[in-house]
Formats: sequence, C-alpha cells, structure tokens
Amino acid sequence: MYRFPIPSAVGLGQGPHWRKFRSTTLHVTGISLAAVSAGLLACTLLEALTTGRDTIALAVSTVLAGIAGGVLWYLTRPGAISKRKVFATVGWTWILTTLVGAVPYLLAGTFAHGGSGFVEQAVNSVFESASGFSCTGSTVLADFEAPGLGLMMYRQLTQWYGGMGVVVLAVAVLPFLGVGGLELISAEAPGTSSDRLTPRVSETARRLWIVYLGFTALAAAALFMADGFSSVYDAVAHALSVASTGGFSPHPASIGHFGSVAVETVAIVFMILGGASFSLHWRAVATRTLPHYRNSEFRMYLFLLVMCSAAVIALMWLKAGLPLGPSIRAGVFNAVSLGTSTGLSNATGAGSLGDYVTWGAGAQFVLLFLMVVGGCTGSTAGGIKVMRMQVLGVLMVRSIRQAQTPRAVIPVRLGRDVIGEGVVSRVAGFFLLHFLLVIGGLLVITALGGELETSLGAVVSALGNMGPALGEAGPTADFAAPFSLPARLALALLMIVGRLEILPILLAVVPHVYRARALARVVRH
Amino acid sequence: MRIVSWALASLIDAGLAVGVATLLCGLAGIGDDNADAFAFGVVGAACTALTAVARRRVAPPARPTAGRVFAGIGLLWTVLVLFGAAVYAGTGSLGRLDDALVESAAGFSTSAVTLLDAAEASRTVVLFRSATGWVGGLIAILIAVVTMPVVLRSTALIGYTTGRRGQDLVPNASTGIRRVLILYSGFTAACVAAYLLSGLGPTDALVVGLGTASTGGFTGRVDSLAGYGGGTHAVAAVGMLVAGAGIFVIWWIVRGRVSPLWRSQELRVFVLLLAVATAAIAIHRDIGWGEAGFMAVSMMSTTGFAVADWTGWGESAAVVLLVAAGIGTMLGSPGGGMKVMRARLLMGSAGGELRRQLDPYALILVRRDGETLTRRTLDRLGGHQVAFVVLVGSGAMLLGISGVSLLGSVWGAVSAVSTVGPAMGEIGAYGRLEGLGRPGRLALVPLMMGGRMSIPPLLAGVGLVLRWYRVAVRQSRFQSRLADRRHARSESGNDDG
Repeated sequence: MYRFPIPSAVGLGQGPHWRKFRSTTLHVTGISLAAVSAGLLACTLLEALTTGRDTIALAVSTVLAGIAGGVLWYLTRPGAISKRKVFATVGWTWILTTLVGAVPYLLAGTFAHGGSGFVEQAVNSVFESASGFSCTGSTVLADFEAPGLGLMMYRQLTQWYGGMGVVVLAVAVLPFLGVGGLELISAEAPGTSSDRLTPRVSETARRLWIVYLGFTALAAAALFMADGFSSVYDAVAHALSVASTGGFSPHPASIGHFGSVAVETVAIVFMILGGASFSLHWRAVATRTLPHYRNSEFRMYLFLLVMCSAAVIALMWLKAGLPLGPSIRAGVFNAVSLGTSTGLSNATGAGSLGDYVTWGAGAQFVLLFLMVVGGCTGSTAGGIKVMRMQVLGVLMVRSIRQAQTPRAVIPVRLGRDVIGEGVVSRVAGFFLLHFLLVIGGLLVITALGGELETSLGAVVSALGNMGPALGEAGPTADFAAPFSLPARLALALLMIVGRLEILPILLAVVPHVYRARALARVVRH
Repeated sequence: MRIVSWALASLIDAGLAVGVATLLCGLAGIGDDNADAFAFGVVGAACTALTAVARRRVAPPARPTAGRVFAGIGLLWTVLVLFGAAVYAGTGSLGRLDDALVESAAGFSTSAVTLLDAAEASRTVVLFRSATGWVGGLIAILIAVVTMPVVLRSTALIGYTTGRRGQDLVPNASTGIRRVLILYSGFTAACVAAYLLSGLGPTDALVVGLGTASTGGFTGRVDSLAGYGGGTHAVAAVGMLVAGAGIFVIWWIVRGRVSPLWRSQELRVFVLLLAVATAAIAIHRDIGWGEAGFMAVSMMSTTGFAVADWTGWGESAAVVLLVAAGIGTMLGSPGGGMKVMRARLLMGSAGGELRRQLDPYALILVRRDGETLTRRTLDRLGGHQVAFVVLVGSGAMLLGISGVSLLGSVWGAVSAVSTVGPAMGEIGAYGRLEGLGRPGRLALVPLMMGGRMSIPPLLAGVGLVLRWYRVAVRQSRFQSRLADRRHARSESGNDDG
C-alpha cells in the first residue's frame, strides 16, 4: 500500500519510513463522513431531479464530505484503543461530524434570510446540524419553502444517521467498554449476554442496522398508506423522523400538516416502537415472539406513556376546559411524541389545540416529566431513560427503608434481579450529572439572554433530545427568536452532550484522558 | 407510672416552648389589642400548664429506634402546625381555616410567606407569627444537632452533624440542648439589640430579630425590609450570614476558636458560593453589589428578606438566586435547602463517577472534614438527592395543577421546599400569598413541611406509614382467615352433631 509522506519532524510519522498517522478519532470520523457523503449524494440526486435549487450546494458538500472522509480514513489507522480514549473518540467524532454536516446549509444559504451575516448563518447551520445528528428536532429554520426537497431530505437524513449511530453506541460500543446502556439492560433482562445479540460487536451493529432499516421502511410504508398514498417523499421524510425519534419535518406544521388521525395514529405506534430497545425488536424478529412484555423496562415505559397521556387529557379537559375528543387526540400524540423524545407536533398553528404551551402549567409539567424520563435504553430515544428512572426509584425506596433500619443490608432489585452496587452508583452519578447540566445550562442560557421559562424548557429539551420546548420555543415556534447566537451554540452543544449520554463529551475535554496514568490510584475530593 | 415514648416526650417539650412563646406574645400585646392579648395569653398559659404537667408523666426511651424517632419528628411538626392553625383561626386572626393552616405552616417551617396584613394585624399576632418561626428554627437545630447524632447514635444520615465537631458542642443530649438553647437565644438577643441600635422600634426589632436568627424572614411588613435604612440592611445581612452558617460557627465564635473556622471546608464553600452568587448577579446586570450580596445571603440562608423587588432583576439573576436557595445553608442552621455539605459531597461523588469511567479500578475516596465516607453513605446521599428532586418536582406539578403558572410553580416549589418563601411569579419578591389561589396556597403546606422536616425523616415517616398499613392489612387478613376457619369448624361441628 502506498503511504503518504508525512514528515516525522511534526510528530506525525515515526522514523525514516512513511506511516499512517495513528488516530482512532480521525479514522472513525473519516468513516462517519464517508457515510454522510453517501447520504448527501442521494440527496443531491433527489434535488437535481426535483426542485433543483440547492443542487450545487449539495454536490459540493458531497464532494467535500467525501474527500474529507476519504482522506481521514486513508491517512489514519486506528490505534489500540484504551478505555479513556474511547470517550474522546466518540465525543470528537460527533463534534466533527456535526460541524461538517453543517456545510450543506451554509453553502445553500438556508439561513441567509433577512440580511443575516456569515456568523449567524454559520451558527444556525451548526445548530440545525447538531439538532439533526443528535435526533433532537429543534429548528432555527423559519422559511420551510426556501430549501429544496433534496436539502430538506438531507435534514431528515441527519437525524436518521444520528439515531442509528447512537443505537450502535449505546448497545454495541459502550457496553463493550463496560459503560452505560447494556449493563443496565443486562441487569434486568433475562439472558444478559444476548443483549449484545451476538458475541461480535460488529455483527451486533450490523444486525441493528438491519432492524433499523427495516423499521424505517415499514414506517414509511405505513405512513404512505395512512396518508392515502399521496406523497412518497413525505412518507419517507417522516419515517426517517419517527424511526430515529428525531422530530424534524419538512413542513412547518409538522404532522399537523396532514390533519389526519390515521397518520397521527401510525406515527404514535412507530414513535413508541422507536423509543423501545432495538435489541428487543431484533429478538422479536429473530424468535418470532414478543419479548417486549417480559421486559420490565418496556412495561414501565408503556405504563408511563399511558398514565401521562391520561393525566394530560384529564388536565386539558377538566382544568383547561378543552373539548374531550380533540383533547384525547392532541394529548396522546404530544405525550407520546415527547415521551419518546421524538418532538413531532400535531399543532396546526400557534394557539391551536395541539400547541401544548397553551394547555396550562399542570399539563406542561406532565410533559416536562416525560421529557426528562425519555425512552428505553438501547433505543434511539433520549432523556434519562426509563431503566435509569426505575433504578433511581428503587434507590429512593431503599433510602426509605434504610432510614428506618440504618444497619440493614438492602439490595436494589429490579424485578427478580439484583442490581450491582456499581451500576446503582453509576446511575446515581449519571442522574446527578444530568441534574447539574440542567442547572448549568439554565444559568448559561439565561445569562445569554434567554427567558427563564423558555430556557428551562430548551435546556431540558436539548439534553433529552426532544425538540420543542416550552414558552416561546414551543411546538409551533423556532429557536431563532428566543435565543441569541451564543445561546444557540450552547444548546447545540447540550444536544450532543445529551445524545451521547453526557460522559463522552465531558470526558473528551478532560486533559486527564490524554495522559498516561497508572490505573490504581487514590483520588481525593 | 410514666409513659415511655420519644414522640410524646418531644411533642411535650415542643408544646412547652410554643406555650411559653404564645404566653409571652399575649403579654407583649397588652396595650395594643387587649382582646388578642387576652386570647393568646390564655391559650399560651393553658398550653404551658398542660405540657408542664404532662412532662412529669412522659419520658423518652433510653435508646429509641430510628423509625420511631423519624415518625415522631413527623408527628411533632404536624401537631405544631395544627396548633398554630387552631390559634390563628380560634382567635380570629385569620378568618378561614385553610389560611390559618398556611400561615402556621409558613411560620413553623421558617418560610417568609404570609397572608397576614401587617396594617390590620395586632402586635400580638405579628409577634406570635415571628415566634412560631423562632420555635421552628430551634426545633430544626435540635433535631439536626442533638437528636440525630446523639439520640440515634448513627452516622448513617449524612447531613447531620457527627464526628469531632459534633461532640465538641454536643457531648450528650442534655448538655447539647442547653448549649443550643443558650447560643440560639443569645444570637437572637444580639440580633434584636443590633436592630435596636440601627434605629428600629422595639416591636419591629423583635420581629425582625426573631426572623433573622431563625431564618424565618418574617417582618410584618408588605415590603419586607425594603422600607428600612442601610444600617438595618447591614445588620440583617450579617445576621443572615451567621444564621445560615449554623450553630457550630456561632459556637466557635463564642468560644473564640479561629482555627475551626479556617479549617471548615463547609464554611469555605458556603462563603465561596455566596461570593460567586453575588458576583454573578452584580456583574451581569446593573445591580448594586450591596443589593446583590444581600439577596444572595438572603436566599442562600433561606431567610427570604428582600430589600428590593428582585424578580425584576433579569432571568440570570433569578436563576442564580434559585440555585442559591436550592443549595441552602450549612449543617446546624435553622435554614433549609439541600445543605452546602451535601451539595459539595454530591459534586465530589459526581467527579468520582467521572474518574471511575476512566480508571475503573481506581480507589475513589470522598472525604468530609478529614473523614472518609463509605460507599454506603454516598449511596444514601444519592437516594436523598433523588428524594429531594422528586419532592420539588411533585411539588411543582402540584402547584401547576392548582393553577399556578409554570414559572411560579418551579420557583415556588424550590422556594417552599428550601423554606425560603418568596419566589418568582405569583408569590413575588416579598412573599405575599394573596396572588395565589386557595389550592395553590394549600399546595405549599406539604412542601414547606416536607422541606422543614428534611428528607430522611420525611422518607422514614412515609416508610413507617406504609409499614403500619402493611401490618394492618396483614392483621386484618389473618383475622378474616381465623374467622373463616372458626366458622368452618363450627359448621363441621354442627354437621357432626
């Protein structure tokens, strides 16, 4: 193989021979950008065949992403990856992919309305890209008619990439490192090793891709039929959104654009499935059974969705005095949409029944609770995750019992299984970090000029990858008006932090990660 | 024959304190509104006499169990609040029973929210409202400093004072109670004297002094301390700082011990947080450093005094104050909140978890004043934090359902659980509850009481109630089975016959 002549004087090579630069981060980023480039190519073709407004921008972006990805992939080789480096790799890969993913918007001038300068356009592009890749679905796009169909499809595609990326991260990569989702799943579900689906992580990832692809195709077909076979484009665009629990829509009124109960019902079903573990879906397909009902997390997830939907409907009907039928429709859709961290809306406009910011504080609190909880572990959904909430609930109950009998040894149980103390303290630590990030994010966003209620909703929404927030950033509004440019950047960062479940981004910026240290040591706080 | 019960004994002691306070309020009100003074005097005298007699009949057990003590604490606060409500309603100070309940809960929980109209309320009523806060603060200190570490002899409940500094002030229960009573009374007297010197009248000085020492924040005026001069503000700021720092700091100051003051990590963090909060408010907005510092101390000590309408200071200042109120005071203070020490340990614990991700085999120790905390203790701390968040979250939801705005609900819940009082939204900077509807006011009662009891007794109370319920269900099932069996036997006997 030909090796590029990289001078050792700058530290990129070693000795007299030319070698590839060893960097797992850049190598993985290269592969990621190549994948994005493939998606961009498809969108370029779509744009060229339909509206044709942004063809050049998309084509240039495709070439740029392809070259960048190819060069990074070719020039680098993955090194022996240590546990510490993995976080940095994951964190930086997402950041770099998000930045490159913003290029199509920038080149197409998507945010060049109203005399906005380069900086504003760049910030908006990064925000939109981060929102897409993190499957958040918040937007700063004001004019939905300006971008071409290809660019809008690229916008939908970013969230689809992000959804799959996170599934692989949560179920395939992070458990390999002993962190996060799978350990939680394995603590509860019977046959813990099968949650990796196969002994090989790459094979697991491949199978999850298959499930994800099939799931998306099924969603597209169902939406196409529910919409009366009217638009393949809309069906595919929204299927990408519900499968990834992203929440972007090519229409300003989101699902409300269709005004169809059938479409909303199909979206509800697929959003619920999108918020459930993809490992369970794989097992359901592979074994032709329904393992979902034996999974306590899934049962709790459904229970929460049902109870919160009922609470929202009751509050809308009894407290806000809204009519019962439309309240059921709007309440269930929005509760499921936010409970699965999708963020689609069935509001037809500001102040319409689906606009939940008009429902009163009680109903909004129920929705806020759902936003914090999020979906199941191993799914594309964001939030703290139902399994973690279960562990926290049991931890609290144990605190109650230990307050009465301080010397008792009380294990934490989920179902019949005892959760290890390490997992319990990790979950408690995660919850604490999430809580601190909400507080810190709120301080930053309000300091940057955000209104308090809107900022609270936006921070919770960004960290939980929901999409719409509260107040001025509700389901019928965009994030451009209520937030300044620095606040938008901060929210974009929070979206990625939330999507990667906090640790990778936090640890990616800790200098300690990049230093060689002895493993066993004492840290004093 | 003496009844041995920790709950009854503590209830009688608290009743004695409240009785004496009510009697003194009645006596102090003579000459202003004699009807009120007479009514309060009679109630106070009756309560004092009753509890003094009952005190001879009841004794605390030598070694009470944790569950019983926690349940007793819950019972104690509940009875005190009901007593206060009965006094307000019975004497006609507040016309409606629910208003009386809210006012009483606000008083005993040392929250600076009120429904009393200072212009109309008599001196007796205003003093009684202040006195309830003072008694509430005293009981909170005694529970944290004496009951938990000494009576329970348990270091399990992090957040209560144990170890060397605890034994220094409280070598045993009786000495501890005596010292705390002297220190707390002395500090209150010093506050009152300082207010008198700053130019306040005797009644105002007494009311504000009681509100400062107990972190109650009640002033008897609709604009809190905004109408007073700079001298009064300075006295209030220093008083709140000391009250928020807690009884141990007062003990060290009284004994002239400088080294524990320097060595205390908690005090350093408390002062540092105050400085940061002040700077964050003053730098970002065009607000004077004095006002910013005053409000930071007021919120962090969970007193709730206000020198200006801070709700108009901007969003970031409001969030800083909200966080300050949520963190709260140092251990051994009558104030509420999560407590500085717990917040610091939680931060240490979170940092430890981050480190553990990098080095899974690392031995990570979290220390507090030289003591290494066990994993078990840290897990309990995690449970405590979850319970705190759940209490605030469910409180906010309760307020939201009862018709309060979203912002008002969040702020109101944090403020009530931290026993501050004033909040953004309907309650406002001066803690006036007229802006809240009746359901909203009633929703504040469990939150204020939950915050006052603090989480472990609250959790244990809930647990004990659940356990009693379970035992009762089991017993009733057993009885019904027994009855069925007897019935079956008697029937088979009849058949044989």
